Amino acid sequence: MARMKFLCDADRCIECNACVTACKNENEVPWGVNRRRVVTINDGKPGERSISMACMHCTDAPCMAVCPVDCFYNTADGVVLHNKDLCIGCGYCFYACPFGAPQYPKVGNFGSRGKMDKCTYCSGGPEADLSPAEFQKYGSNRLAEGKLPLCAEMCSTKSLLAGDGDIIAQIYKERVVKRGYGSGAWGWQTAYKETIAI
Amino acid sequence: MRLGAHFRLLVTGLLLSFAVAFAAPVSAQQVNPTADSVREQQFLDALKGNPSAELQGRITIPDQKAATLERPAGRDWRAFHQGTMLRIAAIAVLGTLVALVAFYLIRGRIQTEGGPSGRAITRFNAFERFMHWLTAACFIVLALSGLNVTFGKHLLLPLIGPQAFTNISVVAKWAHNYLAWPFMVGIAMMFVVWIKDNIPGMTDLRWFAAGGGIVGKGHPPAKRFNGGQKIVFWSVVLGGGALSVSGFYLLFPFYAGGVLNLQFWNVVHGIVSVLMVAMILGHIYIGTIGMEGAFDAMGSGEVDLNWAKAHHSLWVEEELQKGHVSGGPKLQPAE
Amino acid sequence: MLIKRKTADVQRGRLQAAIAGLSSGVMDRRAFLRRSGLVAGGIAAAGALQIGSVRKAEAAGLGPATGTKIIKNICTHCSVGCTVKAEVANGVWVGQEPAWESPINRGSHCAKGASVRELVHGDRRIKYPMKLVDGQWQRISWDVAINEIGDKMMEIRAKSGADSVYLLGSAKFSNEGSYLFRKFAAFWGTNNVDHQARICHSTTVAGVANTWGYGAMTNSYNDIRNSKTIMFMGSNAAEAHPVSMQHILSGKEINRANVIVFDPRLTRTAAHATDYIRIRSGTDIAVIWGMMWHIFKNGWEDKDFLAARVYGMDDVRKEVEKYDPKTVEDITGVPEAQMKRAAETFAKVKPATFIWCMGVTQHSVGTANVRAICNLLLATGNVGGMGNGANIFRGHCNVQGATDFGLDISNLPCYYGLVEGAWRHWARVWDVPYDYFLTRFDEVPAKGGRPARTAKANMETSGHTSTRWFDAANLPAEQVDQKDNLKAMFVMGHGGNTIPRMPDAVKGLEKLELLVVADPHPTNFVSLGQRKNGTYLLPVGTQFECSGSRTCSNRSVQWGEKVVEPIFEAASDYFVIYKLAQKLGFADAMHKNLELIQGKYGPEPSAESILREINKGGWSTGYTGQSPERLKLHMQHQDKFDLVSLRGAVGSPVENDFYGLPWPCWGTPELKHPGTHILYNTSLEAKNGGGTFRPRFGLTRERTLPDGSKVNDTLLAENGSYSLNSEIKDGYPEFTMGVLKKLGWDADLTPKELETITWIGGNAIDAVNWANDLSGGIQRVALAHGCVPYGNGKARANAWNLPDPVPTHREPIYSPRVDLVAKWPARPDERTLRIPNLHTSVQKAAVEKGIAKSFPIVLTSGRLVEYEGGGEETRSNRWLAELQQDMFVEINPADATARGIKDGAFVWVSGPENNSKARVKALVTERVGKGVAFMPFHFGGFYQGQDQRGNYPKGTDPIVLGESVNIVTTYGYDPVTAMHEGKVTLCQIAAA
Repeated sequence: MARMKFLCDADRCIECNACVTACKNENEVPWGVNRRRVVTINDGKPGERSISMACMHCTDAPCMAVCPVDCFYNTADGVVLHNKDLCIGCGYCFYACPFGAPQYPKVGNFGSRGKMDKCTYCSGGPEADLSPAEFQKYGSNRLAEGKLPLCAEMCSTKSLLAGDGDIIAQIYKERVVKRGYGSGAWGWQTAYKETIAI
Repeated sequence: MRLGAHFRLLVTGLLLSFAVAFAAPVSAQQVNPTADSVREQQFLDALKGNPSAELQGRITIPDQKAATLERPAGRDWRAFHQGTMLRIAAIAVLGTLVALVAFYLIRGRIQTEGGPSGRAITRFNAFERFMHWLTAACFIVLALSGLNVTFGKHLLLPLIGPQAFTNISVVAKWAHNYLAWPFMVGIAMMFVVWIKDNIPGMTDLRWFAAGGGIVGKGHPPAKRFNGGQKIVFWSVVLGGGALSVSGFYLLFPFYAGGVLNLQFWNVVHGIVSVLMVAMILGHIYIGTIGMEGAFDAMGSGEVDLNWAKAHHSLWVEEELQKGHVSGGPKLQPAE
Repeated sequence: MLIKRKTADVQRGRLQAAIAGLSSGVMDRRAFLRRSGLVAGGIAAAGALQIGSVRKAEAAGLGPATGTKIIKNICTHCSVGCTVKAEVANGVWVGQEPAWESPINRGSHCAKGASVRELVHGDRRIKYPMKLVDGQWQRISWDVAINEIGDKMMEIRAKSGADSVYLLGSAKFSNEGSYLFRKFAAFWGTNNVDHQARICHSTTVAGVANTWGYGAMTNSYNDIRNSKTIMFMGSNAAEAHPVSMQHILSGKEINRANVIVFDPRLTRTAAHATDYIRIRSGTDIAVIWGMMWHIFKNGWEDKDFLAARVYGMDDVRKEVEKYDPKTVEDITGVPEAQMKRAAETFAKVKPATFIWCMGVTQHSVGTANVRAICNLLLATGNVGGMGNGANIFRGHCNVQGATDFGLDISNLPCYYGLVEGAWRHWARVWDVPYDYFLTRFDEVPAKGGRPARTAKANMETSGHTSTRWFDAANLPAEQVDQKDNLKAMFVMGHGGNTIPRMPDAVKGLEKLELLVVADPHPTNFVSLGQRKNGTYLLPVGTQFECSGSRTCSNRSVQWGEKVVEPIFEAASDYFVIYKLAQKLGFADAMHKNLELIQGKYGPEPSAESILREINKGGWSTGYTGQSPERLKLHMQHQDKFDLVSLRGAVGSPVENDFYGLPWPCWGTPELKHPGTHILYNTSLEAKNGGGTFRPRFGLTRERTLPDGSKVNDTLLAENGSYSLNSEIKDGYPEFTMGVLKKLGWDADLTPKELETITWIGGNAIDAVNWANDLSGGIQRVALAHGCVPYGNGKARANAWNLPDPVPTHREPIYSPRVDLVAKWPARPDERTLRIPNLHTSVQKAAVEKGIAKSFPIVLTSGRLVEYEGGGEETRSNRWLAELQQDMFVEINPADATARGIKDGAFVWVSGPENNSKARVKALVTERVGKGVAFMPFHFGGFYQGQDQRGNYPKGTDPIVLGESVNIVTTYGYDPVTAMHEGKVTLCQIAAA
């Protein structure tokens, strides 16, 4: 069974934000909720790199561990999903997440942030696959259709890779060998406790 | 990870949480952004020196929190929350319960010496009792709903199932968020009303030296509040204060600064609250089954004179002088 | 723990195949699966479009929709030409899928492309025709709108002449829309018709066409995968053409190619360079000549190439001698070592390609900049082969096509110019008597010391440019070289904030008697100024709401199918043009050969029939082979084309064709010319996509020798340079009937072809040529003999008929280096295209007033990836608008500190003309060097601190508004095309 991961090849990422709007388009994500974002490190300096970041669907995910109501679950593909019917919007997953992935529909104080929303790896939620209820709560379920997350599929430079971790790591490795440089598989150490040895 | 280590880490995090910036070598002759590219390894190396380091970048959306690309410190908070916090809470709460049961079995209920006198003295007036019970009621709900966050999914969830547990937890969350306010008001009022009787003094030292009358025989003299009660007062005031401040930041997450700060306040809130729960368990024990007559002080507000004399001899003297003793045959002042 | 049960485990294998495709080049198209859930959700979203009684997108009830259709169209933003794959259910666009099969984008998009679905759901679109009555917007019907607009146009025509109505078209039009709009202008009787190419690559078209024949990108995005050196100048492809970076970065990785970026800013593109070289804005010629100095000095030039295929490089050599490393460093700020390394790499690590954009073109020396680059390419032999060439990234989805079809003041469709022969050619194609047009144009009286012009002369005189439309309204009538000042603007799909000197534009707007804005969104033309009456807003659909072809930057033509009917009361471009022509009385003559179909609101010409008419007349540019059928076949078989060569696979229905039949695609569609992937490529046969430089500057040129005697140099190719298997192994002129006869090839013509040629030629049959032979016979015969119809000539390094025949550095009008102005002054005052162009006067005044002291920061401008052009469309798209919510100015930390400016704080940016100022947020960054500021140009709706949201009709205001950079930009116009000086001026910045 595949273990789905994301890998952003920062030497390809140009901060075009296609991943961001593709996500919005595919999942009808409302204004203010940014399931995916692109961050530029060392902006304006030679060697700046942009990295597209969303939920990394960590191995042994911290959000899942700290959730007081246990609303998270792993799919068979290793995707970390959550059940919005169970989420109480406490914000603990946001404290724990190393990537700032959890989002809340409201900039609410007073615990009124609403139910947490995050990248689903375009694989919906606990509702029946491809049901309207699933779409309304979580967005699309491309995995159930045999497709990959749209952010990666639409990436302008094929920088953002999605798919089975071993395969995308292999792709990245091949690229680094071919071109002779690589700034690293950003977040892999933190999310999956692994580095890609070149 | 050890608690101390956690605190050190979090405090360092607060002080030092820096945006990792890497100086790129720039030669006058060639600027090669490909060769000079920032590498994740630089950040991972920086993490070794400062586990709370955050990787900050630039982002176009207004939410500047999103400019933090990586914050591995979340892992430490998670380790604290799932490990250390759980253990502290378990030890504090269960340990106290065990200790109290043991104490009860050994010492039994502490009886009022000399039996009831039949004469009552007003220990707490209606306002004081309202204040106490307001705070106490809030605290109980806050404590239970708070403990639910830590233990609920281990204890309650398997019993009642996820949907029911979520429903309870949502109610608990709202209760926690809203009852925090009267609780804070209660704490503030208690502080104002009772501070004058809670200034520590030599009497308290002697009281402690004599074992507070719980251990051994005889009661050391005490004013309106004895040393033990003063401990409770200050714990409630300071602990409640800490809970208020930390809770405030957790309720209004955008005033706390970054997520590292939220993690810090969360740790403070968690630890202080379980310690307070432990202490309040002792308080409840002593005020109810632990000691005969003690509950009346906050129940009717009137306590038996003998009980008062035993536990708060100095205060009773003062009250007698003021003529505040009621019920039964009045003591006639010498004229 | 819950484990999600997958319904799609069986598809995992296919999924992995797709992932594997990422590394091995072309990606397999995966079987499409129905997505009922998404459809239902999409419909629910569409149902939110409740706007009063206005017709909303029809949607079926909830529940799994059946019959989801896939419709392919082309992204309406930049010129890369990404295929957009729309999923449509019950007439509603419910989802977007990656178009893996497109060889251009292979499923990819940028932020804009990935959000185009929002364009046809946008509740901020113009919903119905409106007019401004005493400052209030009133809803009117299409009939009323067209009637009133037409009456007003006729009134202005009677009073001031046809030239007083300015027809501003759009690079967003389809090819068919562009052509129809140009044809409309011809029938109306004016050459005052223009579009965004004016402010985009007009100087490129002029400079490149004047060097080697055609004004277009020579190679393609895909071909950059072959390059070993990729040089960028004034191009930030990462933000302006993101998907092109897929090919560029692949090339960089596969070939370990050098990527050299010249730019005043460290852009997102520069971040991926192997050599970033910061230059001072407006010193491009000195940079190029600085490199050429090293090339000539070290003998790195390609001598064989120069001898066989280039004329006049010695004149350049002479000019370049002035640009020694010290001088160049003083002018440009680039140290010798950097310059030398770049020059050596470009000359030696071949193939090398040069990519440029607005950073080069938007200058008062834009055409000269372009020619300098062309000369660098010629000197190093980097034109006409795989992996090299002038890769000019154009800006809009169809700016190449709109340029090709003459939405231009100096051309009829397909670069025929305005000469009598051109008019007669198109009159024949249109089946309208030539004399008809003579009756439509104004006679211009003598004024300002200029002689009068007859209608015929006016018909052959270039029009007035869009960059200075307001000058034609504001200037005294005698300075404007037409019958009267500008009185009306009819604007289709063009922003009002993309041209400098907006304070002057505000004055111009107030002078107009009629302003019509036909657009999906109200542009800045609507919000700017304080017009109270005489303004009309017409809702026009996007290109997703109509069918047609569009030409991307690499000249590939792609057919886009209508995705949904125009939403609300919007109509198609075709309808608006037809309807207005009908009102003005020439619809029948204009649409004689076109098939009318029933559109949403009545008859309109079909896109297919317009393209067939283009095929009938577009000989000069090779727009004759791209029939609708062939283009549709290509879209159907996108997956059959090679990623790098763009060639159709053997055995497929598109075998041997280049993708999108990039022009020139010679002859009739039946000839099956494959199109031309790489221009001037002699290593292929002419009939198989090969080519030569086009001899369009004469056959010989006289040269005076040092002893005073004169010789005639040939302008035809020499030394055995010819396209593969050409029967003529030398240079040759363009093919005419006369040439055919001389060669004895006229016998190859069929009787039918001969009949047509005789009909065209009359008694001068020998003069009928490859470009006006409507039978295509001359082209067919030339190709059959391996020859290129336009001839085989040399490129010219010296463009003797242009201002500055050999480019020379000239300081920008507003230069920070006052000390250099004396040695490198701007051009003397002159007249450019109907109007004065006061380079020297303005520059001198700036120096005398000490502008460089009071405005010490160089201001340049550019694109953001999220927005495009004037930005109304993209700023109304909630998915894009969220990503850039504030107009900003990039300022170096040193300049910010000196001014007490903090990152994110508001500042005033003030410009040196009109006391102009703009209130924007500061973005303190080292992207810009010290003393340089950058502002994006997509914002509008704020004017000098004032919020103008109220000027938009209710509910149509873009989500994000901001000050336009062009409030503070200044005077400066290219002497050839009147391109504005958009990339270098001076400003001052202060904390607000």
